Amino acid sequence: MKFTPRQPGINVNVTPTHPLKELAILAGGLLTIVVGVYLALGLAVDLMVPRLSMELEKKLAGAFIGRLVETDPVADTTRSLQALVDRLQDRCAPLPYTITVHVKESDAVNAAALPGGHMVVFTGLLAEMASENELAFVLAHELGHYAHRDHLRGLGRALVLMTASTVLLGADNSINSMIGQGMVLTELSFSRKQETQADEFALETLFCHYGHVTDATSFFSKIPKDGDPGRFGHYFASHPENRRRIGHLEDLARERGYPPGKPLPLPADLVSKSKPS
Amino acid sequence: MIDLIVFLSLLALGYGAGTWAEKRHYRSIAEREGAMIDMPAVTLKSVDIPEHKIRSAQLVYGSAVISVDYFKRILASLRNIFGGNVKSYESLLDRARREALLRMKEMAGDATVIVNVRIETAAIGKQSRRKNIACLEAMAYGTALTVEK
Repeated sequence: MKFTPRQPGINVNVTPTHPLKELAILAGGLLTIVVGVYLALGLAVDLMVPRLSMELEKKLAGAFIGRLVETDPVADTTRSLQALVDRLQDRCAPLPYTITVHVKESDAVNAAALPGGHMVVFTGLLAEMASENELAFVLAHELGHYAHRDHLRGLGRALVLMTASTVLLGADNSINSMIGQGMVLTELSFSRKQETQADEFALETLFCHYGHVTDATSFFSKIPKDGDPGRFGHYFASHPENRRRIGHLEDLARERGYPPGKPLPLPADLVSKSKPS
Repeated sequence: MIDLIVFLSLLALGYGAGTWAEKRHYRSIAEREGAMIDMPAVTLKSVDIPEHKIRSAQLVYGSAVISVDYFKRILASLRNIFGGNVKSYESLLDRARREALLRMKEMAGDATVIVNVRIETAAIGKQSRRKNIACLEAMAYGTALTVEK
């Protein structure tokens, strides 16, 4: 056999695909999958919330509890609020939740419903309260979120991730603590419909408990119009959305014939706290 | 945001520099392969040459180490997700092997033929897991025979 030196015409060992084309295909494919999962998570929230058991929810709440315990407990205030919530829940708002009230030092005029029945009330809210009925309405409003499990929907896509990681990895896993740390309490967002339903729930609870609905809307209309409500604008009356809510509540009260009555003063423990100046 | 800018700059740098270096290398490889085409390097263990005519037999080897650029590495890590041919690494291996063969031939000098040629490939720089500096080495070795005319 005669040896004839020659070079192969083509290189069989290197695929002639352009590298940028490959990058486009691979990165595009990955992006499509990520977007698809993100959208699917959004849909999964509504499917999952009604099926989530209380026990699992308590486990999920573990991610938040750590930070709540850190907050300075204003013992008397907390106890007094807890008692008020318990009274409301006892007769008029029977929820399958054990509500635990936490008081958090903050200027935010707000309250938040967190998973596992942990209700957070900011001291900024307490400072604005003039009567027990007014406070009861806000608390009952949060109870309404629990009744409809809006607090879970408010977590959005994070809820799906947390549920999946809790079921797969147990309650204390790094994914949960990461999400829990990254979440700001006041960022829980509710839709207009959820707020309206919670308002209605609060109005019914108020009527059931006190026999009248005086001061139900006073909170909305009493807050000064000046100042930027910002993200704590949950209850501000200057906001057009809140005018709509006041109107809706007044219509509802008239429609159902809820009578006016005499509001009760704030419990003593809360009064001292509510006048900081 | 800063991370993203750094990432994209590295990606662009990797693509630009990597493509430039590769084109340059391939030009050089093709040129030298043409120049050394008359020295056969075969995988046969022996050739049909009478023993008394062989003036010398010598071990010759050549090795080349080639680094992965950032762009190719990202492409390969994306491939790691989906599977399939890691096309971005193919040219690296090809270049390393051909360069190693050329260096081996260079070492052989004016030998007549190189027999029993083998090529080995090794990944180097894999020790530290996090900052893994991905390089690969190809090594070609064989026996260079110089035959009396």
